[in-house]
Amino acid sequence: MTYYLVDGSEENFYTAVFDAYKDNDCIITSERNVQLGLGFEVKDVITDGEKAKRVKTKLNALDRGAEEDVSLLLRSDSALKESVAFDYIKLIIANRGAVRSMLANPTVIEMTTLRTRVFGEAHRMKGLLRFMENANGVLYAPYSPDNDITEILALHFAARFSGKQFVIHDVKRKIAAMFDGEEIVMTGAGDAEIYLSEYESYFQNLWKQYYNSVNIASRPHPKQMRGSMPVRYWKFLPEKK
Amino acid sequence: MLDAERLQILTESAKYDVSCSSSGSKRANRKGGLGNASVGGICHSFTPDGRCISLLKILMSNDCLYDCEYCPNRRSADVRRASVTPEEICELTINFYMRNYIEGLFLSSAVFGTPNRTMELLTDTVIKLRKLYNFNGYIHLKGIPNADDALIMRAAKYVDRMSFNVELPSEKSLKLLAPQKTKEGLLLPMKKLRAAELYDKENKARGGKVIPAGQTTQMIIGASPESDGQILRLTEALYRRIGLKRVYYSSYVPVVSSPKLPTIGAGLLREHRLYQADWLIRFYGFDVNEICGEGENLSSEFDPKCHWALRNMHLFPVEINTAPLETLLRVPGIGARGAYRITEARKYGALDFDNLAKMRIILKRAKHFITCKGKFYGSESANAVTAALMLDGVRERQEQISMFSSPSVALSALSGEI
Repeated sequence: MTYYLVDGSEENFYTAVFDAYKDNDCIITSERNVQLGLGFEVKDVITDGEKAKRVKTKLNALDRGAEEDVSLLLRSDSALKESVAFDYIKLIIANRGAVRSMLANPTVIEMTTLRTRVFGEAHRMKGLLRFMENANGVLYAPYSPDNDITEILALHFAARFSGKQFVIHDVKRKIAAMFDGEEIVMTGAGDAEIYLSEYESYFQNLWKQYYNSVNIASRPHPKQMRGSMPVRYWKFLPEKK
Repeated sequence: MLDAERLQILTESAKYDVSCSSSGSKRANRKGGLGNASVGGICHSFTPDGRCISLLKILMSNDCLYDCEYCPNRRSADVRRASVTPEEICELTINFYMRNYIEGLFLSSAVFGTPNRTMELLTDTVIKLRKLYNFNGYIHLKGIPNADDALIMRAAKYVDRMSFNVELPSEKSLKLLAPQKTKEGLLLPMKKLRAAELYDKENKARGGKVIPAGQTTQMIIGASPESDGQILRLTEALYRRIGLKRVYYSSYVPVVSSPKLPTIGAGLLREHRLYQADWLIRFYGFDVNEICGEGENLSSEFDPKCHWALRNMHLFPVEINTAPLETLLRVPGIGARGAYRITEARKYGALDFDNLAKMRIILKRAKHFITCKGKFYGSESANAVTAALMLDGVRERQEQISMFSSPSVALSALSGEI
């Protein structure tokens, strides 16, 4: 059994797919602490743009939506994400076309489950992300998502805040998306020191007031609230602090 | 700037308006402007009552000219009164939106001065928000009954959605409980707006379309004696004749005491059942006559689809691998998404019971009504099915029934469809 060890980037993953394609006894993974036994071999995959391009060209020729699926899968927090994506690509190639609607196929079920989790969390975060305005008018949003969705969110907010500067900071992965009003740049980011604008606490307080006032206390349904807005997200929500 | 106290008064006055969806519009961001609209809608927070916050829901004023019996803001009520200026609304909307607290504005008002004066101020506010503050997010504007058409049409150009509340399910009840409102005063502007929507559609208007997210309405359930059958017939007419996007039901809560009103609330189960029936009419191909007779009420024991199926056991079980989509949609426990997924998956091979379970189709109720490759897994006799479903129903009612407790509704609440 061979472990193809990838670095988490898409290019690197597609290179691994090229290398591992004919290897019937292998796993592609980005997990660094795999348990090795007898007969196990580890290969560090070195990104090769040419190989990655060939896989992608093939994939696009068979199913134009597959690259988007894979891109979402690779953002998942599941340790199996590369395996699922690899199986999915192999299935598309074996089937010579899109397999997305084979909804009873185990590989497609796994793919759909992971993709839905990533896509679902990104959708949820489009609502639950909270920006704070700093003294220079830059919007700053720290958060800690399950999946690596910062880039997806940055695209969403860049489309609605044209000309406004913002930073979306994944404090768990220590990465951030920065938007200068025109372009998005992804960067590593540790702790941030933020000087808030003088109006920030005023609007946060109004928001808390609004949150409390709009609730109909005679119809409590906390289970529904927690189901839609899980507690692990609360520490970044002013109305829940 | 707006203070917390006025925000509290004007939000608490607005919160009984159920609608909070932000879906149906794909308004684009203009360069240098703030915001756009997301067609599926986005929920930004959830309150302890389980409802989502999508829009900043606020009244311009709660100082009302009218004296509707059921309304906490009616003329004769002794409550704190407050109002805000268009600028204050705009500032608050922009600042909440920028922080991603909200998806847009839901602006309503009590009728102060005259209906025209009120409608004018509401319209001025949304125009200011669009033009001066360059806001491209979602706006839902409440229409003021008895205001001039010209004013309403002017507002419709700038907002994503408009709504007039029919308030009560019959003209008779309207006369009794909201004497200053008339059926015509409410329905005529809805019809005019519909005509304008259709005109845009026929002429393939690009940009500047009136109310791209359509119209909705709301009625109070249980403050007046109408049966569920009557209510659902009105609902069906509103969907089919005026092309409404949603009808909201608000279960009557006795916040106001009046000799003309019941002293007990209608309960949330009734509201829940009406929503279930509403969904069947809109998404499941049911006709109101199949669900509920005119003078009847919906069953409290069974959801409307189960109830229909139990009365039509001769149509079941259906074979999952061959039944058309319309038939699958009528199986209790299988929702619109599930039915669609079954029709997709079976193209590649016959499905068995295990396949369905792995596809996460909920079979608890459905198993009594389907066969998979000819095999049946449910209870044999009709009585046994009724008993099993009844037990299920008891469990459902033991849960705290709220308006969002059916999975399909919860899902839509998530995606902001509500």
